[in-house]
Amino acid sequence: MTASVLGWLVLGLPLLGALVLSLWPSEPPQTVTRVIGCGSMLLAFILTLATWGTLLGENPEERTHVSSLWRWIEIGDLRVDLAIRIDQLSVLMMLVITGVGFLIHLYSTEYMAHDVGYRRFFAQMNFFVFSMLLLVEAGNFVFLIIGWALVGLASYLLIGFYDDRPSAVAAARKAFVINVIGDVGLVFAAFILLAKTGTLDFDQVFASAPKTLDGYAAEAVALLLFVGAAAKSAQVPLHTWLPDAMEGPTPVSALIHAATMVTAGVYLIVRCNVLYELAPSASNVVAIVGAITLLLAATIATVQVDIKRVLAWSTVSQIGYMIMGAGLHAYSSSMFHFLTHAFFKALLFLGAGIVIHALLGEQSLDRMGGLGKHLRGVMLMMAIGCMAIAGVPGLSGFFSKDAILAHAWSAGALGKCLWVVGIVAAALTAFYMFRLFFRTFMGPDREGGYEHLHMPGWAMTVPVAILTVGAAIVGWIEIPGVWDAMTTWLDPVVAGGPLGPAEVTHSAEWITGIASTLVAAGGIVVAWQIFGRDPKRRLELAGVARGPRSVLRDAYRFDDIFEGTVIEPTKQIGEVFLTKVEPRGAQGLVDGASSLVRVISGVISRLEGGLVRGYTAAMVGGVVVLGLIATVLLRAN
Amino acid sequence: MPWTTVLIIVPLLGALSMFALPEGGALQARIHAVVASLITLVLSFELLRRFDRDAGGLQLVDSHDWASSVGLRWTTGVDGISIWLVLLTTLLFFIAIAYSAFAWCDRPRAYLGLLLLAEAALIGLFVAGDLVLFYVFWEAMLIPFIFLVGLWGDENRRSATIQFVIYTMVGSLIMLVAVVATGILAQRHTGGAYTFTIADLAGVDFTERESTWLFAGFALAFAIKLPLFPFHAWLPKVYSAAPILVTALLAAVMSKAGVYGLLRVGVPTFPVGADNLTPVLLTLAVLGIIYGSLVAWRAETMRLVVGYSSLAHLGFIVLGIMAFDLQAGQGAVLQMVNHGLVVAATFGIVAMLARTGSEQMDRVSGLGAGAPWLGGVFLIVAMAALAIPGSNAFVGEFFILAGVFREHTWAAILACIGMVYAAVYMLRLYQDMMNGPRVGDGRKAEFRLPDALAILPIVLLMGLIALWPQSIVGGTRESVKRAIEPARAVAHPPAGVGEVPLP
Repeated sequence: MTASVLGWLVLGLPLLGALVLSLWPSEPPQTVTRVIGCGSMLLAFILTLATWGTLLGENPEERTHVSSLWRWIEIGDLRVDLAIRIDQLSVLMMLVITGVGFLIHLYSTEYMAHDVGYRRFFAQMNFFVFSMLLLVEAGNFVFLIIGWALVGLASYLLIGFYDDRPSAVAAARKAFVINVIGDVGLVFAAFILLAKTGTLDFDQVFASAPKTLDGYAAEAVALLLFVGAAAKSAQVPLHTWLPDAMEGPTPVSALIHAATMVTAGVYLIVRCNVLYELAPSASNVVAIVGAITLLLAATIATVQVDIKRVLAWSTVSQIGYMIMGAGLHAYSSSMFHFLTHAFFKALLFLGAGIVIHALLGEQSLDRMGGLGKHLRGVMLMMAIGCMAIAGVPGLSGFFSKDAILAHAWSAGALGKCLWVVGIVAAALTAFYMFRLFFRTFMGPDREGGYEHLHMPGWAMTVPVAILTVGAAIVGWIEIPGVWDAMTTWLDPVVAGGPLGPAEVTHSAEWITGIASTLVAAGGIVVAWQIFGRDPKRRLELAGVARGPRSVLRDAYRFDDIFEGTVIEPTKQIGEVFLTKVEPRGAQGLVDGASSLVRVISGVISRLEGGLVRGYTAAMVGGVVVLGLIATVLLRAN
Repeated sequence: MPWTTVLIIVPLLGALSMFALPEGGALQARIHAVVASLITLVLSFELLRRFDRDAGGLQLVDSHDWASSVGLRWTTGVDGISIWLVLLTTLLFFIAIAYSAFAWCDRPRAYLGLLLLAEAALIGLFVAGDLVLFYVFWEAMLIPFIFLVGLWGDENRRSATIQFVIYTMVGSLIMLVAVVATGILAQRHTGGAYTFTIADLAGVDFTERESTWLFAGFALAFAIKLPLFPFHAWLPKVYSAAPILVTALLAAVMSKAGVYGLLRVGVPTFPVGADNLTPVLLTLAVLGIIYGSLVAWRAETMRLVVGYSSLAHLGFIVLGIMAFDLQAGQGAVLQMVNHGLVVAATFGIVAMLARTGSEQMDRVSGLGAGAPWLGGVFLIVAMAALAIPGSNAFVGEFFILAGVFREHTWAAILACIGMVYAAVYMLRLYQDMMNGPRVGDGRKAEFRLPDALAILPIVLLMGLIALWPQSIVGGTRESVKRAIEPARAVAHPPAGVGEVPLP
């Protein structure tokens, strides 16, 4: 089978799963749901591997396959096909989406077994995977936007999965609305591209952009695309929905709000790298926003008490690295960090899920501690995940994070500043991750101890184990000075811009490697001092820096700012329109014509007393007679 | 066979046949109504089959001398714009009539007869090729709706009807004056015989002053009918007081009369005036989008959320027409169909929700648990109503704004506020009803067979358009081009034509 046929099949399988599950007339037995939900994912993953294999067998320059099913629309001068595009970048994304996606589906079969809405969960998860695949396989901006919005819908549905819980409903609404803001950014970027290039097809847009997009238009497009990217990838100031999104079940957080959907912004920038190559200022904005997000989120993560919120802020922060890398034109490094992050963050979420599952839904770090004794295997796997994200040398996060930071170091004065931010955030990352680790697994049992810990079965353990292996070794695909499989693979789709990534010297790699190792070690040691060595120390330090910590705990109060400046005022404007303007507008008119009103009202009340038949006849008859008279009279003339 | 004329006559005969029925003939009335509207629906599909998608101008024309001395002709026909509105009318009226006939109906003879009359008048309006005929049907359409609201409405029906009558009368009178003036002035310019044939009037060279005033007259009448902000004062009262099925038809079909008139009569006949008044109409449309969205967000009944959202959505269609851009124009025609389908389905769902006892937003919540199928369909419809990318409504909105963006960037940017707030108010409607703590019995709202037969075909059509918008848009190109080309030529005078070619 050709790569495009495989691409369509991969896209179709999760959709089919979602449709079959949704249209099943009643709640099917859990086994049926499991087979359909996971089976479609496993098949999709196998076919994605086959697609990858097909591409590997081809000449690197000829690995792009565009295929269309039908002419979707022909409007004005524009033609848009329902088309997919399989190339190195989309296959990389597809591998992660279906691979990690399958593992998380498998995990969910057990994690969700006690919830009502088992079928609904898997239908929505399959629908999410379909939408995400559509996003990365789309061959033009229209279907990119459609996939983009549908993942938002899937995310909305799954955040609000526990739909009788008001907090979940509110979180879902917030995520949806912020994502619509992002959609608008994307749509307007498409409008400029359409106005300037006359097309929305990726190949044609990218081919003509250097000639047709002047400086301002290119900058505007790049910035508008970034509005979309920032909303989807939770970058400041559009990040506030992601922590709330933790209202969804934990597997959802792992798949959508860590491994795949939230990295769509990175994918978007990398996919449109040709446009960012034309927009130096917008690229700098992207890099700076990424760095700001990276730092803010890392600081917030240090004080969160809910285990999932720590991980959520950590995700925001890690995507900040990727966005920063993309803004610095280090596209392959960003995608590399996306890949490693998918493994270790999915691992961390699923590991946290096992803990939450064991404690029957408890998510507060204050109600944990000492779990290492009871959940030894999970503790080991989580330890590897924490080390991977903290950047311990040899594990995956070390390589990918350093790849981005080495690019920053080499990218002039701005790059150096960003490098410093990245290193500081790396220290914070090591600190908050090991804070989480020590508070969960080390020390004495929580007060009251643990009764009836709910032990994970194979369906939850095996996926976490596989992800652990990935989190440990996936970084080895790109080792500075040894080989660079990722860069080589992506080279044909990201190379060739006038700006391009800065040349990375060996000294930059060494400096970054040493600095990041030192700060990671430092972060871990500080965390050990406060939370690991002696659990009482944490309580002794509880009074320190209360004010700043409460600001951090409230995430710099972004929510309050939006509530006060946008939501409340517009809500009040709407209220005024509804209660003041609407009635008076109508009333004024009626008052003005009050005499007319009385006359007509009299006519109507008299009519109402009569037979319906009578005046229907009168009306119809009147129209007919008038028509006849008019005809006859005018003819006679 | 004079297809387009037959299409008016069949529902009219159905309505007249009601008089032949005995006083208590409820069953026969139901059968007559369903059969008449079904035949009309089938005929309209035959019309579509015979329709040439690649041609411009009126097709399947039926033209007879009526009163030649004053230029009146009975001219009917369809083009790439009206064919879709005819189909929308026949489909939605068939569903409405069949649903009323089988599920609910008070005084069925009169009710169904009036519905058939309204259908005949609306079809007549959409196929009219003569300005006087257009006006006659414009008036004729009001009468059945006035009675439907005035006799079957709720306790506020009287004041609602009065307001409806006042507003539409004002609009009609203005239009009547404009119609007569157009005929007389056109005769003066051409020097020949009187004519009211719309296609011929489009070629008349009105002076700028005439063109502006005449366009203003027609536009005002259309704006009231749409309704366009700020001429919408009748909307909340009438939409609230009417039986919900009538409200659905008002919003889904009758509101199209205004936008259709703009595109069929206003813009092609008075291109200079249209161009002069473009800033006014764009401003009102944008204000309507923002205003309607904000009010919809705060509205207290489900019906008014949908009603005010309709105000916003119609603003988008007006933007698309007044951009004088082929993409935006084709998008606007598609959006007329989309809005008709979506708003009909939404009102259908509101009607189901109302079975739990109230249409107030704050009386029930968490109905989704008792009504899972309703929850699923409602979600799809709500997403289409907020024009999520991937829905049918997105296609229209996207291309409308793409064209508006090229021609009047400011209007497109302001309109995007409406895109965001659409998500806010539709999610409020959906979530407040379906999610949250369980108050009220969702099982009462769940799909029953008549609901499913009425709403699912509409939803399936929405899906078809989303997957293959070409099915509709493909047939609109030549007709929209004809309608907007003169105005576009005025907006981009020859010197600039080279720079801004018609896409």
